[in-house]
Amino acid sequence: MRSIVEFIGVTRAYGSRLALDDVHLALEPGELAFLVGPSGAGKTTLLKLINREIRPTKGEVWVDGVPAHSLKASHVAGVRRRVGVVFQDYKLLPRLTAMENVALALQVTDLRVSDEEASDRALDALEAVGLGDRGRAFPHQLSGGQQQRVAVARAVVAQPPLLIADEPTGNLDLETSWEMMDLFEDIAAFGTAVLIATHNVEIVRRLQRRVLTLVQGRLVRDQPAGRTGRLTWLASS
Amino acid sequence: MAGIVVKGHFPRRRMVQVVASNIFRYIFRGAARNWFRNMSSTAPALGSMTLLLFLTGVIGLSGLALYNLEQVEAGQASVLHVYMRDSAASADVDALWDRLAQDSRVASVAYTTKSEALKRAQRIPGLPQLADASESNPFPASLDVQVKNINDVAAIDVMVRNDIAVDPVYPTSYDQGAYQRIQAVLFGVAVAGLAFLALLGFVAVTVTVNSIRAAIHSRRDEVAIMQLVGAPRWMVRGPFVVEGAITGGLAGAVAGTVTFGLAMTGIAAGSSSFAQFAPGITATVAALAAATVFAAGLGLGSGSSLVSLRRHLES
Repeated sequence: MRSIVEFIGVTRAYGSRLALDDVHLALEPGELAFLVGPSGAGKTTLLKLINREIRPTKGEVWVDGVPAHSLKASHVAGVRRRVGVVFQDYKLLPRLTAMENVALALQVTDLRVSDEEASDRALDALEAVGLGDRGRAFPHQLSGGQQQRVAVARAVVAQPPLLIADEPTGNLDLETSWEMMDLFEDIAAFGTAVLIATHNVEIVRRLQRRVLTLVQGRLVRDQPAGRTGRLTWLASS
Repeated sequence: MAGIVVKGHFPRRRMVQVVASNIFRYIFRGAARNWFRNMSSTAPALGSMTLLLFLTGVIGLSGLALYNLEQVEAGQASVLHVYMRDSAASADVDALWDRLAQDSRVASVAYTTKSEALKRAQRIPGLPQLADASESNPFPASLDVQVKNINDVAAIDVMVRNDIAVDPVYPTSYDQGAYQRIQAVLFGVAVAGLAFLALLGFVAVTVTVNSIRAAIHSRRDEVAIMQLVGAPRWMVRGPFVVEGAITGGLAGAVAGTVTFGLAMTGIAAGSSSFAQFAPGITATVAALAAATVFAAGLGLGSGSSLVSLRRHLES
C-alpha cells in the first residue's frame, strides 16, 4: 500500500537553525496520528512541508505520490487538493459566510462542482461539525471555537486523502474538543489519513493512536497505536 | 419492437455549463463584488488614473494636431508663388509656365489671376482691410508652382526671379529659412510634448501601480488563504486582474469621454479657427482618441494588478 505521506531524510533550516533534522516518516491511508512535542519542536514546520507552504532544505516529501519537495510554485495547487488543512488561526475569508468559506474550498479544487452541490456538501460538512444552523454567519459573528469548526468543515468537505490539523482543539472547550476528535476518528475510518499536531495530553492519552514525537526538530519517538504509554514527557512540555 | 427515443441532458454539456458558470462567478462576478466592496481603497487609483489618462488624451490629440500642422506647413512651403508683373505679356507668361511645367523638379503649375488672388486674400485674416484700403486690386496674378521636393524651392526661385514676366519688386513668395524656422519650432514643440507625454505616462504607471499595489496589499491575507486552500494561480489572479481592469476601464471611460467632449466642443465652437490651429482633429479622430484612452486605462489597470499581485504569490 502506498503511503499518503512520506518524509525521506527531511531537513528544514531557517538560517543556521534546524527546524527539522533528518526526519523519516510515513503515514498510511486511514491512519490517525498525533504529532506532539514542545513548542518550537518543528510540528508546524512539518505540517507546512506537507502542504508545500515551504520546501525542505534537504530530503524528499511525498504527498499521495506527488513530490512536494520539487514541485514548482505554479503546481502547488495540485498538492493542496490532496490535503485538507485546519490552521491554528483558522484562516477563514472574512468577507465570506461560513457556508461560502466551506463551499469555496470545494469549488476551487474542482470547478465541475455546481453551486447547488457545493452548497449541499458545505451544509453537510457544517452539520457534521455541529454548525448546520450558522452557515449564513460571517467569521466575525462566530466564536473562536465555531470558527475552528468551520475550518474543520472546510478541510474535510472535498474529502481529501489526507487531513492535517494544527492545534485543532486549542480554542475549544473540553466537550467540543471530544466531539471534534470523534469527527476526526470518523474521517479516518473512511480511509483519510489524519495527522494532528497537539499539546492536549488528555486526548492523546485516551485515544491510544500513533504518536510521533518531535524534539528540537528530530523525530525522537514513533509510538504505534495502543502503545502510547504514560506520556509524562508531554505533560511536562 | 418500436424504438423509443429518450432525450436527456448530455452530461458533458452540463459539466461545461457548470465549469463556465463557476469561472464566470469567480472571475467576473467576484471581481465586481470585490470592486464595490473595496471602492474606498480603489478611489485614489481611480482618481489619479482618470486625471492622468485625460491629460494623456489631450496631449495625444495636441500631438496629432501638431503633426498635421507640420504636414500642412510643409505642403504650403513647397508651393512657390511666382508673381507676374501687371504689364507682363501673355506670351511671356505662357513661356515661363511652359518652362516650369517641363522642369522635372516641378509637380504642377497653376495660374492665379489678379481677381482670384484678391478673393484668396479676402479669406486670410487681416488682408481684407488692406484690399479695401486700395481703390485698385493690389494683388498680382501669379504662377503657383508645386515643387516636388521642398529643398528645390530655392533653385526654382533663382531660376524664375529674373524672368521678363516676373514682378521685379516682389518676384516670388520664397522666404529663405521660413519653413526651416517653422519646422524647428514644431520639432521643439513635438520633442517637449513627447517628453511630457513620457513623463506623464511614467507618473500614470507609477501612481496606478502604487495605488493598486496598496489595495492588493491590504488584501494579502485573502490572497494567501486562497492559495492555501488549493486555488490555482489563475483563480487567485483572475479576480484581481478583472478588478484592475474595472478600475482602469472606468478611469479610461471617464477620461476618454471628457477628451472627446472637449475636442467636440472645440470643433463646434470655432470650426474655422479650430481647423486652422488643430488641423485633422475631426469627430472621428476625437472618438479614436477616446477609445485609445479607454483601452490604455483597461491595460494599465489590469497590468498593474498583475504586476502588483506577483509579490503576493507563492514562489
